[in-house]
Amino acid sequence: MSVPAEVSLEAVRQDLAEVSPFMIAASLSFDAGDLSAKNLKIQVTFRNRAGERFFAEFDCSEYPLFPPTIEFTDAARQARGQLRFYPNVFHTTPCVCARYNRKAYGELGGPHNEWRLIDWRLPTDGGGPITTLGLMISDLHSKILGASGRMG
Amino acid sequence: MAEEQNLAAGLEGKLNPGHRQDRCLHILVQTPRGLWSLTDPENAPRRPVYALNSKIQQIINDVREVFGFVENGNQYVLLHGDERLQPERTIESYHLDDGTLLILSVQGGNAV
Repeated sequence: MSVPAEVSLEAVRQDLAEVSPFMIAASLSFDAGDLSAKNLKIQVTFRNRAGERFFAEFDCSEYPLFPPTIEFTDAARQARGQLRFYPNVFHTTPCVCARYNRKAYGELGGPHNEWRLIDWRLPTDGGGPITTLGLMISDLHSKILGASGRMG
Repeated sequence: MAEEQNLAAGLEGKLNPGHRQDRCLHILVQTPRGLWSLTDPENAPRRPVYALNSKIQQIINDVREVFGFVENGNQYVLLHGDERLQPERTIESYHLDDGTLLILSVQGGNAV
């Protein structure tokens, strides 16, 4: 089972159109300039209350059937997945440990073997369902605001 | 914005006839699903005009209803800039200006 890239592209565009005013109001910068059927990646820059910036990349391949893969990178978007790129409010794998992050699933090397990708819209422990890019961005924004620094 | 101010004046008059108009405040709330204002969304069942002694929790309840944030279990928090507004406090206690933009933050769970 897979999703044509054109379908994912349209879903991402719809979600971004809805959440863009939220990102502007929350002073989040985002870059979807290279978004296309061949490149389903968007970048969002979050910050904590101290003003430290955290650079997240959402790879939306096969979205919305499956969730995006969310990874933190360096400012240049070259290096990724290192502790020092992560705010200290997530799993030290390092990983955003939520059902809406494909990286969290055991089948992709993440810590959660008990989760199935197809169930990604179910609630993560301690919360309710997070089912759109808009809600993912709001969730990350809220959590990262409260980060006191980096993991490493 | 002029249209919003005129609407606000009209709504304040309806909410508090005969009272000083500064006892009500209209706000804007940006959510991940859209903006709540005196004009948006078009079919909203209520508008963000509040008596100053209203609790922040009332705004949260109302904006959830307007945008259908029915998912229980998530945390719904109003932010003014980066500041979390405490739900039990009143609007007046934050000294918000008329037309202030607030943000509804939706936060889900965190697995371990």
